[in-house]
Amino acid sequence: MDIRPRQLLLELWKAAARYSFPDEEWNFGGRDTSNSTSDAEQLLCIMYPAYQMAGMGFVRPDETAGDVAEALSELGDPRRIPQVLVRTLLAYMERYSDEGGNPTFAGGSYFRAQREGDELKPDQLGLDVVDSFSMSITLSLAVLGFVKEFRPTVRRDALRKELSELEAAASRRLSAAMVGILRSFTVRSFSADSEDGQALRTLVSGGGRSTESVLSGLREALAPARASLPELTMGVETPSPEVVEDDTLLFECGWSWGVIKDAPPVEAGAAAAVVQRDGLAEAKVSLYFTLAALDGIVDLFSDRTNRLSLIAPEQQGLVSALRLRLNLAQRYWSTIARFGRNRWAVEEVPWRGRRPENEGTETDYDSLLATAITVEALAAEQSARDVDIDRVTRILEELAGRARVTRRALPGEAEITLHSPGVRLELVGAEVLGPPVVWQVADFSTTLLKRVARTASITRDSALRDRLVTLADEIWSRHLQPRQIAAGENANLWDDIDNVFRAVKEPRPQPDEDLEPSWYFTERVMESLVAVAAISDIRPYSRRLADQALDLLAEADHLHASELLRSSPTTATPTRSRLDGIEANLRRARELRERQPATAVALLQKALRDLDALALARQA
Amino acid sequence: MIIFATSDKGGTGRSVTSCNVAYRRALQGSNVCYLDFDFGSPTAGAIFGVEAAGQGTSSGSGLHSYLAGNVAEAEQLDVWTGSGLGGRWSKPLGAGRLTLLPGDFGGGEFPVDDAMVDRCCELFLSLDEEFELTLVDLSSGRSYATELVLRATADPAIAEKTARWLVFHRWTSQHIRAASSLVHGPQGILDTGTGCGHERRELEDGIRFVRTAVLEQGSAQLEGLRPEQEVWLQAINTDLQKLAGKLRLGTSMMLGSIPLDPVLQWREQIIVEDDISNTRIANAETGKAFEQLAERLTDDGMWEGL
Repeated sequence: MDIRPRQLLLELWKAAARYSFPDEEWNFGGRDTSNSTSDAEQLLCIMYPAYQMAGMGFVRPDETAGDVAEALSELGDPRRIPQVLVRTLLAYMERYSDEGGNPTFAGGSYFRAQREGDELKPDQLGLDVVDSFSMSITLSLAVLGFVKEFRPTVRRDALRKELSELEAAASRRLSAAMVGILRSFTVRSFSADSEDGQALRTLVSGGGRSTESVLSGLREALAPARASLPELTMGVETPSPEVVEDDTLLFECGWSWGVIKDAPPVEAGAAAAVVQRDGLAEAKVSLYFTLAALDGIVDLFSDRTNRLSLIAPEQQGLVSALRLRLNLAQRYWSTIARFGRNRWAVEEVPWRGRRPENEGTETDYDSLLATAITVEALAAEQSARDVDIDRVTRILEELAGRARVTRRALPGEAEITLHSPGVRLELVGAEVLGPPVVWQVADFSTTLLKRVARTASITRDSALRDRLVTLADEIWSRHLQPRQIAAGENANLWDDIDNVFRAVKEPRPQPDEDLEPSWYFTERVMESLVAVAAISDIRPYSRRLADQALDLLAEADHLHASELLRSSPTTATPTRSRLDGIEANLRRARELRERQPATAVALLQKALRDLDALALARQA
Repeated sequence: MIIFATSDKGGTGRSVTSCNVAYRRALQGSNVCYLDFDFGSPTAGAIFGVEAAGQGTSSGSGLHSYLAGNVAEAEQLDVWTGSGLGGRWSKPLGAGRLTLLPGDFGGGEFPVDDAMVDRCCELFLSLDEEFELTLVDLSSGRSYATELVLRATADPAIAEKTARWLVFHRWTSQHIRAASSLVHGPQGILDTGTGCGHERRELEDGIRFVRTAVLEQGSAQLEGLRPEQEVWLQAINTDLQKLAGKLRLGTSMMLGSIPLDPVLQWREQIIVEDDISNTRIANAETGKAFEQLAERLTDDGMWEGL
């Protein structure tokens, strides 16, 4: 692997700290100016690796590693680093709460007008968005864990008080984000002959099977997901009972961009304290927001969340409601994505949407999202088979090529727009308050790298792993690294997209000396680097080598024992110490055989050569 | 301000570091006095190069005699004129006073009585009036000297003065445990201090640790190591860091760290600029570490706990 996640993350930290803490005051901002999501992204750039990666923590000043202290020295010495973050996080919590202290999740400057020249109304800018809910779940859990781990080292009363305030604010924000994301979930049913039904059928029909057989197959495949629909009770319009009983009706489930229009308020437990505004979002599933929601929700079930028991008892109800939706959405979408006999629906690149005639690059993006959900489903299934991972790998490789991440682009190619300016998702429902609103997503390459890394970390097959690691390296070196800002004040942050496509863009963009960092993209690069680092958590394993090591061990053991029979055990001779060395090697090889068979083989080969040198000398 | 220097064990480099810190502090312009309370072995004079008091003073009015009540005033020696440190018998430009209060030649440890505590208290009060920094070098371990100063500083008359403690220890697992026990353990500084009438929390907030003879990661001294040794050293260092954190003498409680320096190992002496830049027998990092520690003694930010 050529990517060096730890070194790159430390560089990123250094640059982020320099930008964020220029003169003893946290500087929220960046290219898209400050908003609830962007500011959370900026903070997570520093918080996230600290608890996701071993040896990068700074919450216990006594254990802060030297290079970590050095990278974050802009914030102060190891004692000061967590204190600065406590203060900044408190400021964040306050900044994104209304006068009553209720957390807000506005999209703000990330919302854009669909038509050039339109100006969005303040009410529109203030709309809550699923990305912010999701990012807030991650951030709140990061903060809660941070407080839990930092508190034992703190003695000063003033600081302890700040910690308690921060904990309360983060917990409140977590509840509010969970309620928001619950109310953004939707289940929608439609008949097989409706426009939506036809689109779904086209999506999964693949190799020209008859409508009947596709439909019956689909019915059967969706049966488990359908069966769990009645369990959904919180914050969602209870799906009409006919969709459960009448299995000729098709349905889809997942997340829209914000709180669904007419979504009922959630009342249980911690939700009681959350102010719940009426939603506006059209009750229609967006793959993008579904994946965004899933990425945040999984953090609720992470080892860390459990280990530090970050969920308050009154939040448990919300958490289980979200688990239900997580499982349902994952099951539904991975079923759809893997539907088909010889060819999965997701293998039909690009993913076909509703109106093929006017589709653009967003279909490639949808393919990636569907693949990502499939990868997560495979990871959750535990018994992921390598043949399935192989299929996913092929899709990922194809997408990397198609999207001009690992291949060169020609001038004017539509795929360039995937990255710049990005895919524009219309936020249907927001136009009632003003001009039509879009959400711009330009994270194709980081999503790709993250999922490639994720896939690599669920397989133990050496060949597959090698392909995925090579792909990750290529995505990094051919696309993401060139997008890093190379010079100026914000060097080592992202995003300098023009550097990748300068040659093929019309008009040719001019190099910009002082690019502002994009926290949207920098945070995603950071996450994908953390995912790349996680590949090393899983050891590759080869049954073949382990067997070979066993055979080598048998022979070496035998030869060693024979040598010992010849030499007297009492004398301390050179032969004797050589034999002792061989014995130590054999012991080590036996120890490592199951975990690191290749290392065991290397040790045994050395032992065998040493033994043979003795035998050879005897014959001379 | 009064600073007490103590250590868990002998041989930590407490005295040599304290002397160097006093020297640096005086160079920075403060008036500093140095009290040799290492009653069993009063050798501060030797470290400063004050020949008249190499093994303690022979004048009969050293600290032993003063505390025993044999003389009314303890002898004060001007280090700048008594040693070659200031160059030609004079103090460097801009430097403050540097005064040594030596022990008596041939003096030893002695048990503490109330009159002695009063005399000690009086001495601290008058020196604190006269000097910005009073540095008291105590014997290692749980000693009479420690008991004496804990009792003296518990006196209401002295309670409003700032008193701080430096605990020196080497960077090994035994030293870390011993240093922690010296402070937090049974009959440790906190226990004894509380017994003398100190507020435990307040006393604890005034204690910081100084690591001595440290092989810094990434320093030039590690260049000669084999990769195996370096990897091992890193692993050990991480373990020690965890241990220190657990025993409450982690980085957040550390005021300074003095690198291993051959000059300090083989000859306990004051490291002057000449040793660093001219004869180059001492490392520049060592000088910097002393300088930094001297500044931090009065840097309230460094003493503000977590």
